[in-house]
Amino acid sequence: MIRRLLRTPQGAIGVVLLALVALACVFGPALAPRDPEALDFLGRFHPPGAGHWLGADQLGRDVLSRLLVGARTTVPLALLATLLGTLSGAVLGTLSAYLGGRWDEAIMRTVDAVMAVPGLLLALLIASTLGKSGGNAMIAVAVAFVPGMTRVTRSVALAARRQDYVAAAIARGEGGAWIVLREMLPNVAAPVVIETTIRVSFAVMLFATLSFLGLGAQPPSSEWGLMVAEARRFLHQAPWMIAAPGGAIALTAIGFNLLGDGLRDALNPRDER
Amino acid sequence: MILQIDDYSLDYATRAGPRRVLDGVSLSIAAGEVLGLVGESGSGKTSLAWAIMRALPGNARESGGAIRLAGQDLRGLGGAALRAIRGKRIGMVFQDPATSLNPTLTLGRQLTEVLERHQGLSRADAWRAGTCLLARVELRDPAAMMRRYPHEVSGGEKQRVVIATAFACRPELILFDEPTTALDVITGARILDLFARLRRETGVAGLYISHDLSLVARVADRVAVLEQGRIVEEAPPARLFTAPRDAYTRRLITAVPHPDRRLVEDAPGGAALLDLRGITVRYGRAGLFARRRPAAVRGVSLEVRAGEILGLVGESGSGKSSIARAATGLAAFQGSLALDGRPVAAMDRAYRRAVQIVFQHPDSSLNPRHSVAQLLARPLRLYGGDLAEIPRLLEQVRLPADYARRYPHQLSGGEKQRVAIARAFAARPRLVICDEITAALDVSVQAAVIELLLELRRAHGTAYLFITHDLNLVRQIVHRIAVMRAGELVDLLPAAALPTARTHPYTRELMDACPAPIG
Repeated sequence: MIRRLLRTPQGAIGVVLLALVALACVFGPALAPRDPEALDFLGRFHPPGAGHWLGADQLGRDVLSRLLVGARTTVPLALLATLLGTLSGAVLGTLSAYLGGRWDEAIMRTVDAVMAVPGLLLALLIASTLGKSGGNAMIAVAVAFVPGMTRVTRSVALAARRQDYVAAAIARGEGGAWIVLREMLPNVAAPVVIETTIRVSFAVMLFATLSFLGLGAQPPSSEWGLMVAEARRFLHQAPWMIAAPGGAIALTAIGFNLLGDGLRDALNPRDER
Repeated sequence: MILQIDDYSLDYATRAGPRRVLDGVSLSIAAGEVLGLVGESGSGKTSLAWAIMRALPGNARESGGAIRLAGQDLRGLGGAALRAIRGKRIGMVFQDPATSLNPTLTLGRQLTEVLERHQGLSRADAWRAGTCLLARVELRDPAAMMRRYPHEVSGGEKQRVVIATAFACRPELILFDEPTTALDVITGARILDLFARLRRETGVAGLYISHDLSLVARVADRVAVLEQGRIVEEAPPARLFTAPRDAYTRRLITAVPHPDRRLVEDAPGGAALLDLRGITVRYGRAGLFARRRPAAVRGVSLEVRAGEILGLVGESGSGKSSIARAATGLAAFQGSLALDGRPVAAMDRAYRRAVQIVFQHPDSSLNPRHSVAQLLARPLRLYGGDLAEIPRLLEQVRLPADYARRYPHQLSGGEKQRVAIARAFAARPRLVICDEITAALDVSVQAAVIELLLELRRAHGTAYLFITHDLNLVRQIVHRIAVMRAGELVDLLPAAALPTARTHPYTRELMDACPAPIG
């Protein structure tokens, strides 16, 4: 499976990009050339160069070091929130398609109602109700992702529901949990996986927004979204301050998207090439 | 010669290297002649049709030979020249009228398009000519038919419109690619009658592609047999079917079901195993504004005796599959079920184990994400059994034990259906419901699957409810035949009595529509 993933160009590039991100997550503090919180008033807005590879910020902190340390607070949380949200959405969508009839109506109309509230607003609401913290922000982002994921999964699961292997499982007397989780879910995995990887980048941005509004990570944390938010004020003065975390977010998002494309091909058992 | 193909070869470029599809094919069709082309799936018969139409996929590589239409080699022609030929000099009728017509255009628009394009008629003239054409293909009320959309007419009517379009410009040659396969027996037989009449009237030459030997025998002047891209034999049907020269042809012909060649000799009497009483199946529910759909099955009573093979026949939409769905708990029904004389109140594990079902399409009934071992392990886990039995189950359906590690897409159609059968027998059932299980298979594979079923029955004494539309096949193997029409049971009689007994007129009609047995 890994070998099949690496054989596609998208998969290989995605894996390399994400390996770099993972490296930063695991060894970030050790790799950082300077202390990310060391202030240096003489080196404020130091452009990228020999001393600071990616420049320094408004307090003279090294942007590269902050980036490497910040990976740890940014990527795993976004990933976890996305996984939580998409997985529950996928199970709910498949369940809805499997049950059909009135249950389907009830689940989907509820989902529609939740969907009518903008994702950010919903996340804001949850984060402010539960209190400020990274964990609560994660739950907020996950909940905001559930409705969309439920819709996407249900549309695919409806096609799987009509397949005879589901009929065969019902005729065999299988329980609902087995049919939803083992018969149907693996067959709707392809769009779910792709949707998940795309949403990881949304999650990073959503976290950034929450942090910006003061409901997620708190300064002096070097969470990437927070870094972007802080750097916004100095956009004309020191563009590298926003370019570095922005680029990191973009590379992570591209990595996940490419991984998604590669996974889609590798996960398809029919594809024998 | 209208069509002359000389030593034509075709390969498809795949990542695993070139794959030969057609290998030195030579055939010719004279004016007014119909050549039948018979072959199993993967023999390259449809590729040949597309090669003649010059609409091959991008990875096709033609390695030699010529395709001549009235002496002109089609292979060298460019786009404009080909567009002048397609639809005008060569017509084509596809397998499935449901997908070969555009659902967003009226039937009239699709028919008049060829007339406007190739005969330069004005819109109004083309419309008038189109109406006449629809009348010629025996459609009632052709003027109204012109204004309808494909979803508003039946499958048989759609195929008539496709045929009218193919005949519209009086082409020299018409290619038929399994034109009746997607239709039920009686509709298909009427389409064949229509084709015979149009042929007499227009004297068109035809290439009739089919996997069904007995059907080809009915329409073709000569029959060519295609095996893996090679033509192995070509002869008039009477000669081909009585004295085939090639070993492959012989194998094909013996595989075609013949009602006089009984494969089951015993006569199980005995008590009713599964007793269906007054079964009514309705789908959908009444909405606020919509009335409930009519019942798919109305008050059908039927019993399957222990060890018996009961055939259930009828055209599509007659409700035969709904009976199977009711008996396996897939569809809600009114009425009662009894197993061994004991009423079945709820479908418990014991009942589900005793009554197993095998579906028509193994592609759909085997979960593509599960390996063969996983597929077979489920019934063993549910109904009690040892996972070590899996190699024995595979061996029982004559598959090698190492197939356990494979996934469904790595198996051929026949092998997949064997896995589905093995899964049903893993439950050690008393009755297996076979819902059109051979309809998607080639004749030779069908014969092997039937033989396997009969062997399993000899070993385990299993009863079968065999649902099919193929009367010739059913008469070979069943003890009793039940005939359904529009949700009702119209006939239930011993198979041996079918030719002589006083039957319902519909049963007679079904028998007449069934292609005459060959061999």
